[in-house]
Amino acid sequence: MASDSTDKPGVGAGGAGAHTGRSLLGEQLVPRPYFALSVWRVSKNFPGTRALDNVSIDVTGGTIHCLLGANGSGKSSLIKILAGVYQADPGGTVTIGVDTIDADRTSPEWARSSGLHFVHQDLAIFNALSVAENLAIGRGFPVNPVTKAVRWRALRRHARAVLERFDVDVDPRRMVGDLRPAGRTMVAIARALQDQSDASEGVLVLDEPTVSLPAVEVDVLFGALKRYAAAGQTIVYVTHRLDEVTRIADRVTVLRDGRVAATLESGEITKDRLVELIVGRALDHSSASNATLQGEDLVLEVSDLSGGPLRGVSFGLRRGEVLGIAGLVGSGRTSILTTLFGLQPPSSGTVKLDGRVVSFASIDEAMDAGLGFVPEDRSESAFVTMSLRENLSAAEVSKYWRGGLLRERAEAADARQSIKDFSIKAISDRQPFATLSGGNQQKAIVARWLRRRPKLLLLDEPTQGVDVEARAEIYRLTREAIASGTSVIVVTADLEELARVSDRVVVLADGRITGEVRGPDIDPSQLTELVLSAAPDSHDSKLEASQT
Amino acid sequence: MTVVQTDKTGRGGEEEGNQPNEKSGMQSALLFNVERYALPGLLILVLVFFSVWSKTGHLFFSAADFQEVGFDYVYIGMLALASLLPLVCGEFDFSVGSNAGFTQIVVATAMARFHVPLPFAIMLAIAAGAFIGLGNGNTVARVGVNSLIVTLGTAGVLLGVVEWYTGSQSINNGISGSLINFGSENFIDIPDTVWLLFGVALVVYYVIQHTPYGRYLTSIGSNPRAARLVGLRVDRLKLSAFVLAGALAGLAGVLLVAKNGSATPEAGNVQDTLQALAAAYLGATSIRPGRFNVMGTMLAVYFIAFSVSGLAIAGVQSWISQVFSGAALFIAVVASTVIGRRRAGTG
Repeated sequence: MASDSTDKPGVGAGGAGAHTGRSLLGEQLVPRPYFALSVWRVSKNFPGTRALDNVSIDVTGGTIHCLLGANGSGKSSLIKILAGVYQADPGGTVTIGVDTIDADRTSPEWARSSGLHFVHQDLAIFNALSVAENLAIGRGFPVNPVTKAVRWRALRRHARAVLERFDVDVDPRRMVGDLRPAGRTMVAIARALQDQSDASEGVLVLDEPTVSLPAVEVDVLFGALKRYAAAGQTIVYVTHRLDEVTRIADRVTVLRDGRVAATLESGEITKDRLVELIVGRALDHSSASNATLQGEDLVLEVSDLSGGPLRGVSFGLRRGEVLGIAGLVGSGRTSILTTLFGLQPPSSGTVKLDGRVVSFASIDEAMDAGLGFVPEDRSESAFVTMSLRENLSAAEVSKYWRGGLLRERAEAADARQSIKDFSIKAISDRQPFATLSGGNQQKAIVARWLRRRPKLLLLDEPTQGVDVEARAEIYRLTREAIASGTSVIVVTADLEELARVSDRVVVLADGRITGEVRGPDIDPSQLTELVLSAAPDSHDSKLEASQT
Repeated sequence: MTVVQTDKTGRGGEEEGNQPNEKSGMQSALLFNVERYALPGLLILVLVFFSVWSKTGHLFFSAADFQEVGFDYVYIGMLALASLLPLVCGEFDFSVGSNAGFTQIVVATAMARFHVPLPFAIMLAIAAGAFIGLGNGNTVARVGVNSLIVTLGTAGVLLGVVEWYTGSQSINNGISGSLINFGSENFIDIPDTVWLLFGVALVVYYVIQHTPYGRYLTSIGSNPRAARLVGLRVDRLKLSAFVLAGALAGLAGVLLVAKNGSATPEAGNVQDTLQALAAAYLGATSIRPGRFNVMGTMLAVYFIAFSVSGLAIAGVQSWISQVFSGAALFIAVVASTVIGRRRAGTG
């Protein structure tokens, strides 16, 4: 049964009065299933946005409950509330086992003491330490009471017992860095759960644990998770991969725009149904076209580009066009940009710029050919200890080298012009870059490239962590540059933004282009659908690909 | 398709903890000017204090003392200029002092043993210094080893080589007279060597401040990954900074011979490097606070020089001078770290 979000609170309201009573009664009348974790009517507002709206979820003990949703659906806000990183707005409650707390009063201490254990995408393990040491860190080493020296044998004995319990077949003396990727995740899980006396005691929350795992490793991890659940462990599994949900979920809750779109039982889970719930409308399977652009005025032609995660990518870019690339993390969306910019050499394939085959051995060659690249992470583009002026001119310093002097006056004049053109809020062009707001820093970095009047500008998440106003500003400036002959490729996980700014979007999955959507009005939900359904159906295909 | 002004929601949580606002920008602009002239102020204070103080006044302000101090610290000043280029691009060169110790032997041996004419001997020393810099730079920039470790290792090896080659004996004979004269003559009451130092300082200032090359090094020092993404060949540029540092250290070795009239195995060591680095760090707190700069470094060299000299005239024991240099380094490093952090907006 698919319970709709509107009747969900009703169920919860009934349970609200009997919330604590539920488990009391539950133990006497129905031993299982019990709810290991209940979230009831949790809302969370951030200034200007409603991240969670009356969310209620019940997680049955000893099951794997998936939490699924697109970017911005609220799943990470929910996890952060559970972990006590954020507090929800007053009104809702969170129950773990028999322990109920108001949702605006969660804290990391509460989460720990009531048995919520988190394993995040970044495992927070120490690769240079042994498995046994990793298990002991944060928990304490067994020490000799007098000398305070670590009792290594006791440490290993404890580690061996833990590893045996969690079915992890590794020597506790091995360095964690030497383990296979799934092994590392399992050590992190074992570390989180080692102090549970019984598997049915707590709740394990896994936050996108497979993002950086190859397919084979995912299989190993899933095998282990299923065994843990069978032994009574409750697992909340956060993901955006549909195939993973169909494979391991006993139940799945789909979040959309901060609300529970639906909760499905394992028998009801199909990929199409999940996509519909995430997107919020029925599917129309015929949407993607993959037309070729032959005979048009192409500034860039990429054929059969491979290397890194890319497996034979071909596309064309018209002059003055904004091409969006949509895809999940790990689809190779950033690699297209970095490969074009000469940051990593392709293993095969050709790139034609203005009809001529190019291959850049270094970044300055790509820049000379008229390319510009704004990386995803501002720590890879900002010179925070230098001035705004120096940041603006960083990609064209030699322009000011005339008659044996760096012409600072000309540089300053250009900087002031850019500050005006790009509406950068700054006191002067000599202001230290670090004292600018994030949005203004990003505007300056985009300006740095637009000043060069690039033939092709590559933007990777150009508006990440940037306020709304600056976001609009950045795209306005990009539009202006297009009028003067620049073409743009933009990558962002924010599909609404991508739909809005692109003339055309190609969908990338597993290093291949799987579809294309053209303007003028690209529908973001159609993009979401394409991105999600383009993900591999089973890991077998991925497995084959990674073995060849 | 047009860009819509409003934007999608759902990312609100990520915009917390923004950078400092414009107001703190203005505050730091004010602080900037106070910091900027602190060191020149201190230098003047030291000069005034020691010339007024009864215990030192009669000697301190005499031309002879001025010349002596200027002369003594030319060598340290040259080392400071040498260490400045790697520092600007975010790397340490701990071998500049030992490099000078080695190249003084090179220049002296070339003249004394092989009767090489002075100009060629000097070029040989500079080339030897640059070659050592090439070794450092190659290991740091291409292999990617921490520069502190590499250059400390180089320093150790050079000290050992000097001791082995000289058998701990000074080279006193066969040094060109004109080199020794250069080390002791004045031009308009200022030692020739001081003029040389100021000349080199001017060149280094020009390179760092007024050439794209200097800007590139500064960018690498600020953020090497971003520097790479604006097309800079980071490894080549770093390598060149070490080569230039080595060449200047070679010139410092020549100055050592000019100053001492001989090449002594004890001269030129890590102790000198530390003094040079102290000056560079102290200099980074002024003129262009938060950045290594030539003017500040020269002021710092002579701030330490005149302080130590004043203390010596006042008759304090020599260990006090050492404590003073050490304390100056300590305070300078702390001050530039704090300033740098404020610059970066994290403090």
